[in-house]
Amino acid sequence: MTEKTRNNQVWHRFKLRLMLYLLCLPTIGSLLVFSYYPKADVVLMSFFRWIPGQVLEFNGTSNYQEAFADPLFWNSFKLVGVLLLANLVKLWPGILAAIALHRIASNKLRYFFQVCFVVPMVIPMMVWLLIWKSFYDPDFGLLNRVLNGSGAMDILQALDTAMPALSNALQPAFNGFFNPVFGGLGGLILLGVYIFALGNRKEHDQSRWADYGAIFSLALVVPVMSLLGLMSTASGLGITLLIAVGVMFWLSRRLGNSWIAWPFVVLAGVVVFWNELWRLPLTLVVAIGVFELVRAKRDFYTGKPVLMMIALSIITVGAALVLLGKVWTDPIGQFETGTPAWLGNPDLIVPSLIFWGFPWVGTVGVLIYLSGLQNIPQDVYEAAELDGVSPLGMIWHIELPLIMTQVRINLIFMTISTLTAYETFLILLGPDGGPDNRGMVPGLYMFRSAFTEGRFGYACSLGMVLFVIIILLTIVYQKYVRVDK
Amino acid sequence: MPKKASKLGEVVKVGYVAFVLFFAFVPLFIMLVVSFKSNEQYMANPWFFDNPATWKWENWSIAWDTVSGYISNSIFVSVTGTCITLCIVLMSSYAIARYNFPGKNLIFYMVMATMFLPGTVAALVTLFDLLMRLNLVNSLWALVVMAPVAGQVAGVFILRNFIEDIPKELFESAQIDGAGHFQQIRHIILPLSASIISVVCIMDFLHSWNNVILPLLLLRDNDLLTIPVGLFRLDGEYVKQYGQLMAGYTIASVPLLVIFLFSMRFFVKGLSAGAVKG
Repeated sequence: MTEKTRNNQVWHRFKLRLMLYLLCLPTIGSLLVFSYYPKADVVLMSFFRWIPGQVLEFNGTSNYQEAFADPLFWNSFKLVGVLLLANLVKLWPGILAAIALHRIASNKLRYFFQVCFVVPMVIPMMVWLLIWKSFYDPDFGLLNRVLNGSGAMDILQALDTAMPALSNALQPAFNGFFNPVFGGLGGLILLGVYIFALGNRKEHDQSRWADYGAIFSLALVVPVMSLLGLMSTASGLGITLLIAVGVMFWLSRRLGNSWIAWPFVVLAGVVVFWNELWRLPLTLVVAIGVFELVRAKRDFYTGKPVLMMIALSIITVGAALVLLGKVWTDPIGQFETGTPAWLGNPDLIVPSLIFWGFPWVGTVGVLIYLSGLQNIPQDVYEAAELDGVSPLGMIWHIELPLIMTQVRINLIFMTISTLTAYETFLILLGPDGGPDNRGMVPGLYMFRSAFTEGRFGYACSLGMVLFVIIILLTIVYQKYVRVDK
Repeated sequence: MPKKASKLGEVVKVGYVAFVLFFAFVPLFIMLVVSFKSNEQYMANPWFFDNPATWKWENWSIAWDTVSGYISNSIFVSVTGTCITLCIVLMSSYAIARYNFPGKNLIFYMVMATMFLPGTVAALVTLFDLLMRLNLVNSLWALVVMAPVAGQVAGVFILRNFIEDIPKELFESAQIDGAGHFQQIRHIILPLSASIISVVCIMDFLHSWNNVILPLLLLRDNDLLTIPVGLFRLDGEYVKQYGQLMAGYTIASVPLLVIFLFSMRFFVKGLSAGAVKG
């Protein structure tokens, strides 16, 4: 090979590489400028007091301190929590619709329905929002007319006196029994969740004691820190947070995939028992005690159903008591006129938001489930039929387990969009989230801080908090989804 | 699905699906009904059409005057944005899928990472500041520029996989015949991956068609508004003429419905793919 051809080759390769980089340049450039730069800028600007073009001064972590002390911000997460719980219920109509659609025998009819499910997505989202908003209008709205016409308004009116009375009647039980014994209904439900989480554990060897110890160490971080008096100062809070995240990380590595939920369940315990942190280790001990008792008599396969039943009945009782005793505590006083302002009354906003989009069949969700259902081989059904599984039983034994991956994907999608999406709330309720800020979600609060109050730096710190939460959730979910694949 | 389905089971299934779809289509039906009514007629009977003699056709003409501008803005933004996205995606996924070069994986992961980093929500404030400094406030070009940023991620992911499956010999023989990179993209990738490209396009198009927050923040002039923001502004007016509003909603829904009727297959496929992407 002569010198000249080699030079030629090098030049040729250089030209090719240059061309390839040029081909990728628009992608790289647009992402760096419009996606990565703003995200990096958020991190930086969250440490500033900032109004674009007017004020820019460094003020350390005071934005974050204010954010963590801001009751409105915390309440916005409470609303997200309520909406997420509602999502768990709202998930089912979509799954059932997909299964029903999948099982329709006639191909033509099935395709027709499938097309019908796509049509709503072609209509602009804003049109849906505004039509539904018009349904909620107190005078014109169809919702009030349906309620009045069907007599449901009278039932609501009757409930408006009955429910607060029931709640009052339950109050002695809460004060005399549940608060001292479980630390409130939250503690009761948490106990159920712990037993549920433990029930999934398969191994029952000596290593479990070390695992219990590891969980306890996380459960003790915050109480010990608060005993040491570190929780009162900002830096102490920061240190506690860092240690907690560190322990959580270590814990998730140690316990492995099947126990990945534990760090988060324990953290939820800290939030629930915030004023009485000594209850957290105690609840853990009780849960572990129940687990040990059951598993001493039975192995994993016979013990799990028992544990699940105990856990689910505790959770059900807790949830029922919350619904009966803690939600509808005061009369709303809107129903006797026949024209309740669904989006204008502080007490009615959350129910309206939950009812929104009845019967909650997201077309995207149905399409995801369908793609999963279409992969189920015919012989699985045939085998089940031979075993005498009824059509309804097949939902539980075949279709649900086999589309679990799709359900999880959809759940991730719903969770993240509940956490981040605020367009709906902005359009329905305005930047304040309706009267009394009842419909305020974190994203909307960030939007308001920046664009109506002009506190851009503060909004950046709120954005960062959201950012961290979403990243954590995504990591957890990624693990969950991958395990099953 | 189970082969032997009982009559009753079939009725239950069809009934349930129909029930669900009924609620999806009632709002659209009401929209159409109310668009022919005045506020008084709406108050009296929202459920069905009145006597055609009393239909308020002027609702439609008034709505057309306001909404047609929004529609043309939206079409401009979505079509230009989607075309630009498509070009960018084709170029980079061609380079990544066809050649090995240093930094290729880095570029690919950089694109993929944006899928998992929470997008415009956390960084909305700084993005707005950036666009303001670039003098893109109150300009439709801001939306066109922003369209590829979110849109190309799924596109690169899908197209890269697809192009890698195209036999290398096709590209090589084209190269021997003297075809450059762009000619290879045009004559090999475009025809072979037409269906998957249309899927990507539909996803991107719908995304910019429904975009609310950015136009809401960026657009000030009434004649620059896109459909979502325009409709939102109309809804915020003090005295609501529901008939005109609903006629406006109907008109705003028509363009995509028409496209949908002609390319139903791609839509069903595209939306499923977009759904799985999340």
